[in-house]
Amino acid sequence: MMKLRMGTGVVVISTALLFLCLPFCSSSVPNDPFFGIAPQDEKYYKSSDVIRCNDGSGKFTRAQLNDDFCDCPDGTDEPGTSACPGGKFYCHNAGHVPTSLFSSRVNDGICDCCDGTDEYDGKVTCPNTCWEAGKVARDKLKKKIATYQDGVKLRKEEIEKAKSALDKDKVELLKLKKEESTLKEIVQQLKEHKEEIEKEEEKERLRKEKEEKEKKEAEEKANEEKSAATGEEAGHTNEAGKHSDAKDYAADETKYEQSDVGDSYDGATDSPSSEGSPLNEVEESVKGAEGEHAAKSETDLRVEEKKSSEEIINTGNDASENTEGLSKEELGQLVASRWTGQKGGKQSGEAEDAKKTEEQEDLTSESNNEEYEGYASETDDDRNRYDGEDETEDDFREDERDDVSSSYKPDADFEGEPDLSDVVTTDSPSWLTKIQRTVRKLFKAVNFFETPLNQTDAARVRKEYDELSSKLSKLQSRVSSLTQKLKHDFGPEGEFYSFYDRCFESKQNKYTYKVCPYDQASQEEGYSTTRLGRWDKFEDSYKVMAFSNGDRCWNGPDRSMKVRMRCGLKNEITDVDEPSRCEYVALLSTPALCKEEKLKELQHKLDSLNSQQPEKHDEL
Amino acid sequence: MKNKTQTLPLLFFLLFFNHVHSWKKEEFRTCHQTPFCKRARSRTSSTSTPLIATDVTISDGNLIAKLVAKSKQEETQQNTNPLLLSLSVYQNGVVRVTIDEDHSLNPPKSRFHVPDVVVSEFQSTKLWLQRVTQETLDGDDSPSSVVYVSDGFDAVLRHDPFEVFVRDKSNGNTRVVSMNSHGLFDFEQLKVKGEGDDWGESFRSHHDKRPYGPQSISFDVTFHGADFVYGIPEHATSLALKPTKGPGVEESEPYRLFNLDVFEYIHDSPFGLYGSVPFMLSHGKQRGSSGFFWLNAAEMQIDVLGSGWDAENGISKLPKNRVDTLWMSEAGVVDAFFFVGPTPKDVLKQYTSVTGMPAMPQLFSTAYHQCRWNYRDEEDVEHVDSKFDEFDIPYDVLWLDIEHTDGKKYFTWDNVLFPNPEEMQRKIAAKGRHMVTIVDPHIKRDNSFPLHKEATEKGYYVKDSSGNDYDGWCWPGSSSYLDMLSPEIRSWWGDKFSYQNYVGSTPSLYIWNDMNEPSVFNGPEVTMPRDALHIGGVEHREVHNAYGYYFHMATSEGLVKRGDGKDRPFVLSRALFAGTQRYGAIWTGDNTAEWDHLRVSVPMVLTLGLAGVSFSGADVGGFFGNPEPELLVRWYQLGAFYPFFRAHAHHDTKRREPWLFGERNTELIRDAIHVRYALLPYYYTLFREANTTGVPVMRPLWMEFPSEEATFSNDEAFMIGNSLLVQGIYTERAKQTSVYLPGKESWYDFRTGNVYKGEATHKLAVTEESIPVFMRAGTIITRKDRFRRSSTQMTNDPYTLVIALNSSQAAEGELYIDDGSSFNFLQGAYIHRRFIFKDGKLTSLDLAPASNGNARYPVNTVIERIILLGHASGSKNALVEPSNQKVDVELAPFWVQRKNSPAVMTIRKPNVRVTDDWTIKIL
Repeated sequence: MMKLRMGTGVVVISTALLFLCLPFCSSSVPNDPFFGIAPQDEKYYKSSDVIRCNDGSGKFTRAQLNDDFCDCPDGTDEPGTSACPGGKFYCHNAGHVPTSLFSSRVNDGICDCCDGTDEYDGKVTCPNTCWEAGKVARDKLKKKIATYQDGVKLRKEEIEKAKSALDKDKVELLKLKKEESTLKEIVQQLKEHKEEIEKEEEKERLRKEKEEKEKKEAEEKANEEKSAATGEEAGHTNEAGKHSDAKDYAADETKYEQSDVGDSYDGATDSPSSEGSPLNEVEESVKGAEGEHAAKSETDLRVEEKKSSEEIINTGNDASENTEGLSKEELGQLVASRWTGQKGGKQSGEAEDAKKTEEQEDLTSESNNEEYEGYASETDDDRNRYDGEDETEDDFREDERDDVSSSYKPDADFEGEPDLSDVVTTDSPSWLTKIQRTVRKLFKAVNFFETPLNQTDAARVRKEYDELSSKLSKLQSRVSSLTQKLKHDFGPEGEFYSFYDRCFESKQNKYTYKVCPYDQASQEEGYSTTRLGRWDKFEDSYKVMAFSNGDRCWNGPDRSMKVRMRCGLKNEITDVDEPSRCEYVALLSTPALCKEEKLKELQHKLDSLNSQQPEKHDEL
Repeated sequence: MKNKTQTLPLLFFLLFFNHVHSWKKEEFRTCHQTPFCKRARSRTSSTSTPLIATDVTISDGNLIAKLVAKSKQEETQQNTNPLLLSLSVYQNGVVRVTIDEDHSLNPPKSRFHVPDVVVSEFQSTKLWLQRVTQETLDGDDSPSSVVYVSDGFDAVLRHDPFEVFVRDKSNGNTRVVSMNSHGLFDFEQLKVKGEGDDWGESFRSHHDKRPYGPQSISFDVTFHGADFVYGIPEHATSLALKPTKGPGVEESEPYRLFNLDVFEYIHDSPFGLYGSVPFMLSHGKQRGSSGFFWLNAAEMQIDVLGSGWDAENGISKLPKNRVDTLWMSEAGVVDAFFFVGPTPKDVLKQYTSVTGMPAMPQLFSTAYHQCRWNYRDEEDVEHVDSKFDEFDIPYDVLWLDIEHTDGKKYFTWDNVLFPNPEEMQRKIAAKGRHMVTIVDPHIKRDNSFPLHKEATEKGYYVKDSSGNDYDGWCWPGSSSYLDMLSPEIRSWWGDKFSYQNYVGSTPSLYIWNDMNEPSVFNGPEVTMPRDALHIGGVEHREVHNAYGYYFHMATSEGLVKRGDGKDRPFVLSRALFAGTQRYGAIWTGDNTAEWDHLRVSVPMVLTLGLAGVSFSGADVGGFFGNPEPELLVRWYQLGAFYPFFRAHAHHDTKRREPWLFGERNTELIRDAIHVRYALLPYYYTLFREANTTGVPVMRPLWMEFPSEEATFSNDEAFMIGNSLLVQGIYTERAKQTSVYLPGKESWYDFRTGNVYKGEATHKLAVTEESIPVFMRAGTIITRKDRFRRSSTQMTNDPYTLVIALNSSQAAEGELYIDDGSSFNFLQGAYIHRRFIFKDGKLTSLDLAPASNGNARYPVNTVIERIILLGHASGSKNALVEPSNQKVDVELAPFWVQRKNSPAVMTIRKPNVRVTDDWTIKIL
């Protein structure tokens, strides 16, 4: 016999349990025939003496209810025992929340319900911990509600801000578009003028040329030697410039190589394309390794080697898999890497690297750098689309630029351009009017029929054209980035507007994780950055931000990241995890998720918890 | 030079970037590249030196003889000494023949005899030979020596030409198994190295000094009256061994026995894998089964010769119905065992009487195991564990691979990822579950690692050919390998598993031995050099195939010590050798998530069972690659029937825990796992049968139906015990399949209860719900139909009996129960019942011998449900005696946990205790 600690005022279950043992028995049958039934279902069971299985598969008598034998596969007849694998057991858990358990938890020797009702066969004693657990849960809930209350306010403010900012963006876009078309017109006019001038100039040039030709023919003999000398000098200067360019490039590309490697690049400047040189270098080192080995080996060894290389050909295997000529250590690393998918120098236990020899350390960092350079050069290709841009930007900006579709430039970028500062910062159209006036003046001033053309005027037209068309292209890029921005999904209420152009960071051990919504997610370790994904979309009704198509994983998929969001007062990345290789998950606390409906739900839950508290306990 | 070292990693990088992962065939030797194999394989009977047996006597109960070259001339030419042969006979039809050099003639070195494989009990079954009969065989000029083996069999030593065989007296004295019937016997004797002798040998960049020169042994073995041969694991190939040589056979490599860590092995190859058991079993319609075991741990290559093969010219002179084989080994001695059969189960019994019975496993270890390389940290472990509960999927063991350690130093924990290992294990154990950590044989060469320091100081490492501690490369980088051949070192190793020594371990933690071939990443063929040295000057070549076995043994014995001899060990090993069954479970290594690998797992596991290693399985889902959900589900459905049932995955693969593939797939996987849990009482009974008879849990059909030829090469289907036939589904989107159901009796679909005729091939529609499983009419099995978090909570749950009646309305079955974890069953603390249904009455009989000690296993567990398949009457009641209680008989679901399960005749709540004698009569 066993006494159960039960709350009063709830369903009273007998305090004593009798074992029905006919003819022999050790299985347990609850004394209360209605044991394990949820209050809302009691009526169903009490309505008649023959009860139907919920799934319609059959029926059972009152005597078969909770008789520890499964009659309904769905468990309807055994809510209080473990007889039906598909059944559910209801614990009241007075003082806490009621729960429904798989019936496999009944009498399994493990206390699942805080009221201990799931264990009644006498094998274990489960204390009633509902009051304590309930209190903890209620306190937690209260705290959560408090967070939500503040969070809901923050969220509302964010939404308000977002609304006006969005409106502002839209207005700005409209304005910019208008300016764009005006400016386009001016530029077009300038272009026409410019072409007109150029036509005149061409005529002038032809005429002059003709004159000069005649003059030249006369002076030809006298001037021949002198003009040849000037040409040679010019050519020479030109070549020298090229040479130093290539040198810079080589130095840049091989910043982790020692200078003797750099020398070999210098030597390679003669070759038609500098891209060819790193490849040559690799081939050379392959040959070098083989050669060294061959020199070391005995005659029969060489024969053996020949044999096996023949075999490689026979089996159609890639010659690059030849492991001959590697040191024992390299061979070990290489074979290990087949399983680990890690590169030769990078062995699986990173933590103990410190204890390795220095040489090994060199190998490790070297191969990391290789990897880094591997994808840095990939982005180089993208970079080339932006001609004329500065090559020495940091990683982050590089990556940003990478994403063509959202090539939004922070305002600071515009401010950095002195001649365009007024374009963005002033809200009056005066700059345009000013331009229009200037151009009109210019047109008036230039006399196209004057021969020869006034050089100053022509230059002015050209300069104006160059300046304005560059202004136009900046304006257009601003229009396009703003258009792209406004195409983004900022959530049903625009609550994620403030995420635009922002990054959230979290440092975990040696890594820094950076989540930039609408852009990308990355992992940084020292100077190396790995892209975990490009912005994809919101998922799970705006509870998750998905980043996909990140850097390719060694021997695996492209990296991806899901950022799960929950209500919090600050935008903060808390956990970052990699449950599957190269599939990352992170948690982001944000007011954007503090929804009013959820708050109401929580408050309702708390109310119902409070109402379930047995009064007796309040006195304790 | 700096330039070179700097560019090498770049070279590495490019190599990896380009290469597609696959089996690196060229890194492993072919027979042609292996001098002893090449020599032996090209030998014919006319190029061999004929030997004759002389000086035949009886000594110490053995038959002793000398083997000498037939002509003196040849003897002096070859400069060989006579060899010593000893033949002894053991109970139950086992004949042992050893052939070695004559130690009295002072050979340069004594050849290696593999210790600690033949069990000590075997010695006590020796028949002390008293006399030898001389008899001249038909057509022979000289006499042969004949000794008595058993009532039906003699062992014969034919003197000239030398041949050893066992003959069947009841069958006109026909040969059963014979050695050297084709005169291919060859024994390379050790020689003293002379001036200018260079015996060294190179393979790829590795050099083997071979200081003792060639020392190989080869001979032919013939299985008479046999249609097929089986066994000699481990290979990824068919169950019935395909010929590798002979007329009409596409010549292939011989079956290689050389323990190797093969990256991404292919699914159909005679290539050697992680383990080697040089035991072969034959079976034929005419004669039944026989077996041959060569206890030798050196590299072995075995040819199965196609029908019609002849040692001289390829034309058959002998009758058909025999299988010829050629056995070649690099070193060691002849220590051969002949098993007379005549049934397949007899051969298993005979073989395991020599190498030991399969250990009785912990009950929990026969349930479902969840593994992945790697569950990263304690949080991950807790999460996975809780998800099983959330989805109501039972599991018993959660595994931690190499990443749980501090820098791959075994017995340590990564203190960032696993700061509180004991607490983690306690949490898991609170749900009745267990954990397993990996402990590999390579020891990190790190002076701050006490294990390494101690092993170095004590001189416990295997030495290289120059006598220094061998230094190879494995997970931790530079590593050394303990010399597990030494009992002292094994004992020292075993002590490392005590709770004091293995900090962070608790009683719910068990062990996994991986990489014990041994795997050496920078060694020849990814293993240890053959000229490495073990204690007593034993060369690695002589002991190679048993290295992992000794390591497994040491670990297993360590766990026994840890539990004061009260707790059965659980150790999973990848490498194996003859005798491995005594120490734990085996899995088939790094397979791939492909249908072909699912398919080949069946012959692989069956073959392991035929070699005595009953407790084995393949990684469910496939280790490498990402299985499509359909393949994963099918793998669970099949894998739930492997004796060892574990899901595992490589760390580059996507997560694949059972709940990650949508609701429907979760449901299907849960159901597959539930079936295994329901059958745990049946499995446990079968594990006990294996433990007492050597007969495996998972059996080829012909083991149960030895006279049905249609089953001899069937390795798509298999038997679990004598009752369940399982047919895998090995193709994508299969709509139907053909299943051959052997035997005259009917079969019941194990899902629906529908009847199918025996001795017929049935075309069946395939559903996604399950693979086809049938229960044989005439058998009774026990189930537990309640599912808990783990097997631990099921201990007291009631049983369901499923009775499949045959055409005479009769059936029989057994149930074995003990505490599931201790050794008390050895003192009789168990329950063993036999259930017999006959004449409308079910009877429970006690099978435990009356005098099996004082220990008892007291349980109150009852039988809650008895299902009768194929019962003719429509009775409504049954009478339970001796209590004289009437109980209801009704139609109830065959499987209570499945929706729409067909209704079958069920005795409701008989509630009889499993410990008692009782009868239930259908009224």
